[in-house]
Amino acid sequence: MSPATNDAIHKWIDEAGAAMGGDAAERKEALLELESTIYERLDEQTNAGVEEDAAVENVLDSLGNATEMGHACMPQAPIIRPELSRSFFMFTWALFAVHFVLIIAATMAGREFALPPLHFRPIEQQSVLGFFARAIEVLLFDAGLMLVCFYCLDRLGGLWPAARGSAQLTKNPRGHFESAAFMLLVLVVANFLRDNLLALYMESASGTIQVPLLGEGFTDNLVLFNVWLGLACARELWYGFRGESRRALVLDIVVRSIGVFCLMRIVASQRLVDLAGARESIGPNADTVAALLNTAFSLIALVTAAMIAVEIVRRAFRLRLVD
Amino acid sequence: MSATTLEKIGAELRRGIVQIAALSLLRERMHGYQLVKVLAEAGIETEEGTLYPLLRRLENQGLLTSQWDTGGARPRKYYLLAPEGEAALPILEETWRQINESINQILKAGVAETSQ
Repeated sequence: MSPATNDAIHKWIDEAGAAMGGDAAERKEALLELESTIYERLDEQTNAGVEEDAAVENVLDSLGNATEMGHACMPQAPIIRPELSRSFFMFTWALFAVHFVLIIAATMAGREFALPPLHFRPIEQQSVLGFFARAIEVLLFDAGLMLVCFYCLDRLGGLWPAARGSAQLTKNPRGHFESAAFMLLVLVVANFLRDNLLALYMESASGTIQVPLLGEGFTDNLVLFNVWLGLACARELWYGFRGESRRALVLDIVVRSIGVFCLMRIVASQRLVDLAGARESIGPNADTVAALLNTAFSLIALVTAAMIAVEIVRRAFRLRLVD
Repeated sequence: MSATTLEKIGAELRRGIVQIAALSLLRERMHGYQLVKVLAEAGIETEEGTLYPLLRRLENQGLLTSQWDTGGARPRKYYLLAPEGEAALPILEETWRQINESINQILKAGVAETSQ
């Protein structure tokens, strides 16, 4: 076989291999099988008297586009499965919103916020272009972070058993197990790193000031926060194993109410008035920062309460329909 | 309806039956291209891009076994029905007969209604 003919075949095989998913061993085996097929077809053509170059052309034409063939033989698994893409976008946008609000707050305060290990730097170039550039930077970072989280959770998710059949009205049972695992993780991490994660650090002339994020009654609020997360975890497990029912709905209402109460308590404790302790470090913008964050928390609490009310009515109605 | 659309529908229909056809033919050891040719002779034109992933899936499901034969002029991957596939084949054949019967009845009823 001439080198040019061989090159054409190997070029086609390389293109097919580049489009293949799976691991290296699987790809190698699939390519070997394709190569074997190519030579089988080639033998048939040359035995029938077709000239070698024309035969190669015929064979490669009959197999079609190499990239399409590679993709068909060994499809590449998407990083985020299509059924998870909606959740991925939702979580990414939510993370981006929180992240960007904190950056705006840091910009208004004119100082860097630290929620170790994260740092929120103020926007240096305060122009439309500066804000836009920073927003893109933050969005890319958050999307990357969520991509890693979703990828890992999805791969871990494969290890969890599917729940037995139930009158599930909301989401896949596996989704509930994932939520339960995530809440348990947050519970452990938040308690283990409570001095770092649940506090805001600010530099001032007199040193570093720690502002607890759970408000003045830090210990009481931490208990409430733990109860809320623990019950939320139990609720997810309940839904995962038993599916939707009236009892589950009641448990859900209790958990969500505690969540809103927890949030309102943080706002009511006027935690952000604690910023007064950091007033000197923030300077003249301290009141604005406190008002902005207080308003944001109040709005979140109000919107959450409204969404809970709507969802409870919707699900109660659907349960009635199922009954 | 365009010829391309008809071709696509035809291809989808064929794709569904290739599984049972391949399992049935692989009672005898065959390599991928050999199976493509036998299927084509039987009137079921199948591309390698359709057949090879299907064979791999059936192998992962334990219905087929495969073995590389490196004794010849070039290596060839041979497929053969696994014991699990042998057990599943009569059940699949019965399912196919039932579907075939139902479709024939539906088509006959459709023809009768059109002629009335």
